[in-house]
Amino acid sequence: MKDHSTTEDDSNLLVIVIDTNPFEWEHSSAPIKLNDALQHILTFMNAHLAGRHDNKLAVIASHVGVSQFLYPTLNDHILGSTQQTEKDANVYQNFKVVNDAVLSGIRGLLEDHRPTLEEKDLGSSKIAASLSLGLCYINQALKLDGMGHVKPRILVLTVSPDSSSDYIPIMNCIFSAQKANIPIDVCKIWGEDAVFLQQAAHITEGIYMRPSDPAGLLQVLMFSFLPDMFSRNYLYLPGQDQVDFRAACFCHKKIVDIGYVCSVCLSIFCSFSPVCSTCRTKFAFQPLLSQARRLGARTAASNPGSPKTSTPGTPVGTPTNLTSSATMAISTPSQ
Amino acid sequence: MSKFQTSIHEYLETLPLQTFNRLYQKPATCLAVFRLLPPLGKQIIMSSLYVDPPIAVSDMKLWFKGSAGEIKHTEAMQRLKALHIFEEVRGKYAMNATFLEQFRNALTGGGNSQSFGLATSTPDKYHVDIHFLDDYATKQWEAILHFMVGTTEGRPPCKGVLNLLGRSGLMTGGADNGGGGGDQMDARDFASQMARQDFGVPKITHKGFQFLLQDINTQVWAFLLQYLNMAESLNMDLVEVLTFFFQLGSLELGKDYSSENLTPTQTHLLEDLKAYGIVYQRKRGSRRYYPTRLATTLTSGTPVMLGSHTNATKIAAAAAAKKAEEEEEDDHGFIVLETNYRIYAYTDSPLQIAVLNLFVHLRDRFPNMVTGVVTRDSIRRALSKGITADQIITYLTAHAHAQMRKHSPILPLTVVDQIRLWEIEKNRLRPVPSWLYSQFSRQQDFESTLEYASELDVVLWSNQKRRMLCITAEGHTAVGAYVRKLISRHKELQAQQAQQSSPHTHHSPHVSSVAS
Repeated sequence: MKDHSTTEDDSNLLVIVIDTNPFEWEHSSAPIKLNDALQHILTFMNAHLAGRHDNKLAVIASHVGVSQFLYPTLNDHILGSTQQTEKDANVYQNFKVVNDAVLSGIRGLLEDHRPTLEEKDLGSSKIAASLSLGLCYINQALKLDGMGHVKPRILVLTVSPDSSSDYIPIMNCIFSAQKANIPIDVCKIWGEDAVFLQQAAHITEGIYMRPSDPAGLLQVLMFSFLPDMFSRNYLYLPGQDQVDFRAACFCHKKIVDIGYVCSVCLSIFCSFSPVCSTCRTKFAFQPLLSQARRLGARTAASNPGSPKTSTPGTPVGTPTNLTSSATMAISTPSQ
Repeated sequence: MSKFQTSIHEYLETLPLQTFNRLYQKPATCLAVFRLLPPLGKQIIMSSLYVDPPIAVSDMKLWFKGSAGEIKHTEAMQRLKALHIFEEVRGKYAMNATFLEQFRNALTGGGNSQSFGLATSTPDKYHVDIHFLDDYATKQWEAILHFMVGTTEGRPPCKGVLNLLGRSGLMTGGADNGGGGGDQMDARDFASQMARQDFGVPKITHKGFQFLLQDINTQVWAFLLQYLNMAESLNMDLVEVLTFFFQLGSLELGKDYSSENLTPTQTHLLEDLKAYGIVYQRKRGSRRYYPTRLATTLTSGTPVMLGSHTNATKIAAAAAAKKAEEEEEDDHGFIVLETNYRIYAYTDSPLQIAVLNLFVHLRDRFPNMVTGVVTRDSIRRALSKGITADQIITYLTAHAHAQMRKHSPILPLTVVDQIRLWEIEKNRLRPVPSWLYSQFSRQQDFESTLEYASELDVVLWSNQKRRMLCITAEGHTAVGAYVRKLISRHKELQAQQAQQSSPHTHHSPHVSSVAS
């Protein structure tokens, strides 16, 4: 991080977002079972808590169709007043409280058989919702602290593929995090690279990693994701040489390599439309690309807000000059 | 040497490997020791905790970024080696096997060491709440401090405390000879003597004053370290004592723990800690005990060094804000210091007032505050007791009122500078044991001796005209030998040329005063 104001005395607030999507975890090709992975993650949590007595932790489950705090649970106070749990002389009490809460929370989620899920939710988890919850929690914790000694960060442990419908909310979270100086670390435990989360880590200067061997998850977590903001100034941590900057279009939520960008609000579209659906700017011209022209003509015909009816007072001064920017390609350095 | 030993790190590093191997058998101890490490030391442990083969020294170097990282790495490794967590074997770092196993147990909750405190199986009929424990801890601990500053408030502490105060050199007289009959009487006598300040008998040593200006966590550790030193002479098992301290740090406030599984040493220890307010037991021999806040924050990891004191208090304040700890509230943020040297302290605690009285000329006393002036005399009085200007400034900074904290720097610079100047003023003269060389008969001899001595950097003072120079005690052997060589060479020359003049050395130790 560029933030040099970190000192040894800072306490760390780590918000862990765990993707508990059962469709992925129980997939026959999954290299590690949720149970085993949880053991690794719990040990990692304990390692974080072991670092300092004032290290804070929040765990959020990003489940299918729902996103929920596992620790601290809703009835707990924000800073984690301990609930009554049985004491065990072999375990440090702080660890036990967290571990029990996380385990029982996940068990509750998995046993909940009320599939209020809609078809489109299937197979994707609520990463964006979890990130928002995490950011809100951090904001609250920072306000309560007031001294600037708490250094927050977010760690996303994900297995699900990107859900392109989440693009806009995720981007909004990313920019909020960037503004608040909160790094988002991402560990894609297996599968394809997660395009949006990769961008999240890149923009917020967090760490993105896709471990080569998911069975050794704990070592990856300990080595790359445990260092706090102070230690990161002095350590070489895995970086990203190549980031997939592809975006999802605003109209059909498809991930696109090349698209149309509104010159006023920078919204992205996979096909030409004469009126920007986000800012209502009207484009009184036809794009140059033949395919786009066809598409444009079709939309213009079906759309009453066609360029012909546009009023003289449109925010776009000289629409014809915008052709080049309207068809501006969003290039990708690589896939 | 006047610095009071407060840090547990320094103490631990003096212990031999065997002691460590026994200490590390308890996961709670491993966790506590781990928390004492610098951040990168912690990271090194965590990174290598689940790597089985030892890591090559050169490989580990690659983890660190740039020269700053390298410095941190070396620092951290030094600490890890001093605590016998890592060992360098044939170019590889190997982790202490006991530590490795038990620390893994600490993280995963494995093993059956019961080192995190055995809970009582039945509910306590006389259950006490956190508020009561805080009250109890404050009362006990402040009784000790009150006794030290000599206020008549509260009853004098018991014999064990007096003994420890005496042994640690925090106070002189009275406390040490607690062997005679009628301890209670003895203590009261001592206390009343202390109260009569006009006697001016320095019962509390300058170490004691320094102690008073520290924050509570540091004070408690200072006490416990002293206890450890004493434990050795009492033939108590050091490992058991340390293990118990670290275990206390991992306990939970407001819960009761069973004392049945404790060793006889630890049972004895419990009795003593009760007197300091670190643990609470309803009555002697009770089967359960409660740790107080003094105990549970023992291994909290807040730095105990003076320099970062302010930060530590702030963090502690943030952490404890929700708990609204009375003691802490009393303890910080009540002093307003103005540029005109006036001081306003919003406190009614006799202890705080007594501490302030060490270096402030107090003027008025109101129900909720005292006012006073920092004067040359009041500061000099403190300095003469062995308190340093830095300690005063740190104390004032740490206890500055919330309004003061809005300014940067927190304390008015004029006052801080003046306090430092007053200290320097006092230290104008500095005695240095030294040797005076005089009566060089030849300018050439004098100059070569001077040159030789200044190369060694042992010259305190010299005068060309009078051919005299002052050498520090350490430099005397070398310079003396040099001069002797000169003399013997002259003697040879004398023999040849029958001349008679040689440099005489003046070989009596002098205490010369050198302006600093």
